[in-house]
Amino acid sequence: MSGLDDRVAAMLRQHEVEQFLYHEAALLDAHEYAAWLDLFSDDTHYFMPIRRTVSHKDADREFTRPGQVAYFDDPKALLRVRVDKLLTGRSWSEDPPSRTRRLITNVRVLADNGAELEIASNFHLYRTRLKSEEDSWIGSRRDVLRRHDDSFLIARREIRLEQTVILSRNLSNFF
Amino acid sequence: MAISRGDIEHLVSDERGELDRRIFSDDEIFELEMERIFGKAWLFLCHESQIPAQGDFFESVMGRDNVLVVRQKDGSVRAFINSCTHRGNAVCRAEEGNARSFLCTYHGWSYGIDGTLKGVPGYKTFYDGQLDKSELGLRHIARLDTYHGFVFGSHDASAPALVDYLGPTGRLGLDLIAARGDMEVIPGIQKFVVDCNWKVTVDNVFDWYHPQVSHASATMVDATGRDRHQGRHRTLDMAGVDMESGESLAATVSGISATDFDQVVLLGEFGHGIGGPTTSSTGAVEFDDSWRRTERAQTLLGPVGVSVGGHPNIFPTAWVTMAPSQISLRIPRSATSTEIWWFSFVDAALSPEQKAFQARIATRIFGPSGLLEQDDGENWVQVTMQSRGAASRGIKHTMSMGIGRGAVIHEAGLHRIEGTTSEHGQRWMYRAWREWMTAETWDELREATVPGDVL
Repeated sequence: MSGLDDRVAAMLRQHEVEQFLYHEAALLDAHEYAAWLDLFSDDTHYFMPIRRTVSHKDADREFTRPGQVAYFDDPKALLRVRVDKLLTGRSWSEDPPSRTRRLITNVRVLADNGAELEIASNFHLYRTRLKSEEDSWIGSRRDVLRRHDDSFLIARREIRLEQTVILSRNLSNFF
Repeated sequence: MAISRGDIEHLVSDERGELDRRIFSDDEIFELEMERIFGKAWLFLCHESQIPAQGDFFESVMGRDNVLVVRQKDGSVRAFINSCTHRGNAVCRAEEGNARSFLCTYHGWSYGIDGTLKGVPGYKTFYDGQLDKSELGLRHIARLDTYHGFVFGSHDASAPALVDYLGPTGRLGLDLIAARGDMEVIPGIQKFVVDCNWKVTVDNVFDWYHPQVSHASATMVDATGRDRHQGRHRTLDMAGVDMESGESLAATVSGISATDFDQVVLLGEFGHGIGGPTTSSTGAVEFDDSWRRTERAQTLLGPVGVSVGGHPNIFPTAWVTMAPSQISLRIPRSATSTEIWWFSFVDAALSPEQKAFQARIATRIFGPSGLLEQDDGENWVQVTMQSRGAASRGIKHTMSMGIGRGAVIHEAGLHRIEGTTSEHGQRWMYRAWREWMTAETWDELREATVPGDVL
């Protein structure tokens, strides 16, 4: 295998990963929640820890861990409940629907064992609601993408917001 | 124009079940609340289990003062205003952690974990040693006390003892957590901001009229898992309740948590209250209430308290929930902005897996992403926003459900009203608010908040 082939393969993989994440973001922005849910493996774990302002020496306490309190700590079944809730027509915090736009950037492949890839990405989720309400969340994600058919399944996602106190009335959207 | 006590009397009418909507947005009223309620009341700060080791601290809030609650060398707990006595800078900028000392990063004054001023740069060179350090320690809050590990503080040196302030109703509210075991806080305090008046979030504690509509989507998908667990399927009289589409709100709803079940409302001195289903009612919210049959629970809760299953509120702003055990603290930031903090409790004796299970339930139900609470903020913001126009401000809030029909049963030191869904709890809370805002003394306040025989 030549060095060039390796580099071309890495570029293709990067392209596939990015296109997958962009596709996922587009589904959410279009409120295609059922299709979005299908991108997750049955054994997935969707996790957003609580972040705390701590001193440098207490840095290991900045984020809560699984088993502690979080904002999302969801197996697939709970993600499905969240999606079903949005589809009831009575989910008032999302009806009228929020307008959202997700910008996914800084996508990096951190590891690839053939079956699963570890992916880092940054996001900006911008939301407006009703007449004048505006929310903006920036953060980073660590995903485990599992190769599946010609694409991927999200087998794990950890979302880290750049907010400690959540500056919004709710987190009724997905990240 | 200054608001007089006489003006405030007219803002709340518990006789008619009406509120003047100015109380939800008026800045002058908010300033008076900061002085007359948050400047006096015992306020929940944190739980002792959050700061187990010497130097552990947690920053909490009393009114607009940030307060450091710190574990001392001798195991006691102290609390200081997080403000350097030199120029007022914060001496600690972390929410929680462990400290050997607190350093002001402006000029370098440093304080021991007991709040004493230890080090002043240039003490000899610039001050010629002419500075009385003993007078310049961090300002202790006027009163600090704990009840079963729940730490409270008051800015008022003349406040009654915490245990008397809580009274039987407030104590029962906290005992409903404490009686479950050796309770500790699970790491991770959820914090978020809702642009609404704080009182809107508090009266909601007693509001068992809203879940069937506000939380319709959550109950339709059995968000809590309770209906599936208990095989419940309920519907409520929804005649004429249509959605914009013309579809009946109830027609397609299954498993909706209709709230026409047995409830009990407890009215306490100083405005404490508990409202919601009894444990034997079809609306009971706990998955597993076997802990209530333990000797510890029977003793602590007493014959009436043991079957109380609703929502306690420790006046003004500490809401206790029991499925799972949590305290939701509502921190007023301005007339139209409130910060909400969720403390989640678990029995220290449980296994890590059982604790993790409780943490996941807490995450799932409440907080900004909670399947129930995410729809509350939407209502609370609109209640605040749509009630402050020149015309909308003049419309009265209607709070008359069950008015004049609540016979108060006085038993075991508690005052309770039995029945179904009502607004007794809310009316009690706003009546107490009026008394807090007008009473001149603690005695006057206590007397004005002793429940009579009918509400």
